[in-house]
Amino acid sequence: MPSFGFGLVTAAVLAIATVGFTMQFAVTNVLNLAYGSIMINSAFVAYYANVHGVTAWASLPFGVVTGSVASYALNRFVFTPFQRRNRAPITVVIVALGVDLIGTFGLQAIVGGSYVSYRQSLGHEYHILGMFLSGLQLIILAISVVVLFTIHWLLRYTRLGKAMRATSANPNLARNSGVKTQFIISTTWLISGALCGLAGVVFAMNTGVFEATSAQLYIVLLLAAMFLGGPGEPYGAMFGALVIGLSTEISAAYVNPQYKEVIAFVVLLGMLTFRPYGIFGSEKTL
Amino acid sequence: MNAYAFYLATILIYAAVDAMACLALNTEFGFAGISNFGFIIFQSAGAYTAAVLSMPRAATSNGGFQSYVLGWNLPWPFPWIGAAIVGGLLALPFVFLVGKRLRGDFAAVGLLVSAVLLNVLVKDFVPFLNGAAGVSIVPAPFQSIWNPQGLAYQFAYGGVAIVLTVIVYFLLKRITESPYGRSLRAMRDNDIVADSLGKNLRQNRTSMLVLGGAIAGLSGAILVGFISLWAPGAWGYAETIVFFAAIIVGGAGNHKGAILGAILVPVGFEEITRYIPPLANPSLVPSLQWVAIGLLIVLFLWFRPDGILPERRRILSGTPIPPPPPPTETSEEIDNEVLVKIGNVDELNFRHLLRLKDLKNDGRVILSTRGLTKSFNDVTVVSDVSFDILQGRVTGLIGPNGAGKSTTLAMLAGTLPSSGGTITYEGEDITSLASYKRANRGLVRTFQLASEFKKLTVLENLVSAIPNQSGDSFWGSLQGRRKWGSEDKANIERAEEVLDGFGLAQYADAYAGGLSGGQRRLVEIMRALLAEPKVLLLDEPMAGVHPNLAHKIGDQLTRMARDGMTILMVEHELSLMDAFCDPVIVLAEGRVLAQGTMSELRKNTEVVEAYLVG
Repeated sequence: MPSFGFGLVTAAVLAIATVGFTMQFAVTNVLNLAYGSIMINSAFVAYYANVHGVTAWASLPFGVVTGSVASYALNRFVFTPFQRRNRAPITVVIVALGVDLIGTFGLQAIVGGSYVSYRQSLGHEYHILGMFLSGLQLIILAISVVVLFTIHWLLRYTRLGKAMRATSANPNLARNSGVKTQFIISTTWLISGALCGLAGVVFAMNTGVFEATSAQLYIVLLLAAMFLGGPGEPYGAMFGALVIGLSTEISAAYVNPQYKEVIAFVVLLGMLTFRPYGIFGSEKTL
Repeated sequence: MNAYAFYLATILIYAAVDAMACLALNTEFGFAGISNFGFIIFQSAGAYTAAVLSMPRAATSNGGFQSYVLGWNLPWPFPWIGAAIVGGLLALPFVFLVGKRLRGDFAAVGLLVSAVLLNVLVKDFVPFLNGAAGVSIVPAPFQSIWNPQGLAYQFAYGGVAIVLTVIVYFLLKRITESPYGRSLRAMRDNDIVADSLGKNLRQNRTSMLVLGGAIAGLSGAILVGFISLWAPGAWGYAETIVFFAAIIVGGAGNHKGAILGAILVPVGFEEITRYIPPLANPSLVPSLQWVAIGLLIVLFLWFRPDGILPERRRILSGTPIPPPPPPTETSEEIDNEVLVKIGNVDELNFRHLLRLKDLKNDGRVILSTRGLTKSFNDVTVVSDVSFDILQGRVTGLIGPNGAGKSTTLAMLAGTLPSSGGTITYEGEDITSLASYKRANRGLVRTFQLASEFKKLTVLENLVSAIPNQSGDSFWGSLQGRRKWGSEDKANIERAEEVLDGFGLAQYADAYAGGLSGGQRRLVEIMRALLAEPKVLLLDEPMAGVHPNLAHKIGDQLTRMARDGMTILMVEHELSLMDAFCDPVIVLAEGRVLAQGTMSELRKNTEVVEAYLVG
């Protein structure tokens, strides 16, 4: 069962990332392909805090704030202006790809191409239910569970969460019903950006060593998890992340680990072909 | 001197290869509206194919240090032909992504992810194409004629590359400047509407992906024949973004723009960075190169979204007068005042224009529904709707907001699949017939929301709807003007006549996207009429149209109905219903509430209440 443990941790990181990604899609209808670049930038900001004497866990907030501010700014100063000009969704996606290049390689230009890692110990190794998990991995799992429950509470039981869901379902109707959609969209980007930053740091911690382009292919897993659960569906994203996280790691144990993303790829193309609105999503999401 | 000549020849070859690739991608993206984010895999497939077709068997080559498939040792031009074929065939698995159901940006990420994963697979599976090291020492194609090390060879190779690029340019131009090209651009501007006018989206997009893939494959073959090696590092998914940047900079939808973009972006960037002195950080220059590509995309899309050479506006009408600046605000009432005076819609002979001659008005049931239902998840919007539409009548469909009128219309036209019940048209069950096929059989709809093809002129919008054009197919377009020229001229004249009748002749060559709301409604009605419908489904056609003109159009529609055309009209304006529609069907909360003439319905308290309450 060791691969199950790895899968669980991969899924935990992926779930944080996918929930943020899908929330952004839900309120602004943008596939934010620059998500991975913000993740890795956040990871590097936390890394530099770590290098300058902050402990690895205490550097987490640096990453979270970076992700939050960068995502908010990206939506406010790039995506929204393009959407206001009535550019087609595909134009905004191309812009996102351009921003991804700027973010990823701008970072590479600054930090160089070498691999780095946080100054942190993996902690004790625990043997639970046949899985071997390091202390680090257990903390990542715990963070993920806490974060996902917080998101659940936010969406279900707060006015803000209800307004977010209303904005996602029908922005015009929400606005006409008195929801301050602009404020809700901004808040969603701040929150989802925080998730993006958090995901970036725990992703980097879990990977061990990382460099500027390490998160470039992460978008494949993100998209697969999101489309599995239905685009714009936070709960679907959690489910999708669990399935993709577990299946990639478990398949890696049985076939060549270099092909582990293949299952995510097959899932994504299958979903796009047969059920682009996800297993739980409705046709209207399109 | 010699070094410069070599350098020049190299640049020429790169420029030709990149220009060819950009021409292909531009045809897919700029003309047909397919965002092929996986474009690089087509070029790569061609490069690998050309390599392994021209190389000797893997075991015998160079002591067998490479492993790869095939190794047929074929002489030129067979490896290049093979490359084009494989590049084209590679498009076929993606046919599933480019149908009507999938949003363009979703299909695009599907292609993007395919490119990422194929790269990983080829890199990790060494026996296929020698893994990350790639194939190398690919034989030079013309080495039996010239010495590959010589200058003559370099220039001859460049010459061949340029000649092939020029051929590709003229081939693509022939396609895009035909009625088929017009359909492609219509599809790009609004795919759902193009579909409702009878364009087969999946087939058209597949044709363009196969064609683009074949050309990309050929460009890869030319490249690999020159540089003699090809490895996964050369075709990361981001390389596609470079081509997109080239097209955005040069001008999407303009072949010359694609060539210009190819020279400026992939060629220019590579060359300029050669002159930057090496810096302390060796990865700095390549990193900044990517940053620059990203910036180019974002800044160009913001400041000059049409590129350096924007798409050319097609002037079809003879009217030399440039169109007056179209109003920016949708002040519909005002500009329709003008139309009412100019338009002679009541004098038009639609029977002739719409080729209604063979249509007989026999009053039979032409379109009917039984138990038609539509649910989105748990919400039922239309439930158990049954009615018969009689031929030669103008039937009205009214009801309060949210009654399911537009949804019903969309199901009749096939824009939305129904969740239950049947639709019968001309005695045949069409419940699961694709919408473009329904349109081709004469069941044509209009849309409630703006649905003009924005970057087609008004006249092009109209002509694009005319069915059975001999130039409106891939093969038809290849046969050139001799095949479709005179027919197209007649079609344009026919469309101009209709346009004149509706008082919009002076806008013939203006982009439809620049018209006011009311004018765009008219364009849509005209376009639907030119689709030669037997049954015309109109969704609030008169919204924003001046009442006087609306009544004139209504009169015409009644006359057409008398001649045998059947009309089903959703409309909020009850005075129009009173004047033109008989019978009228009332929908409320997804059900048929009543049916009859307007005067009957006015006596029906249930109907009156539904309207007042709803």
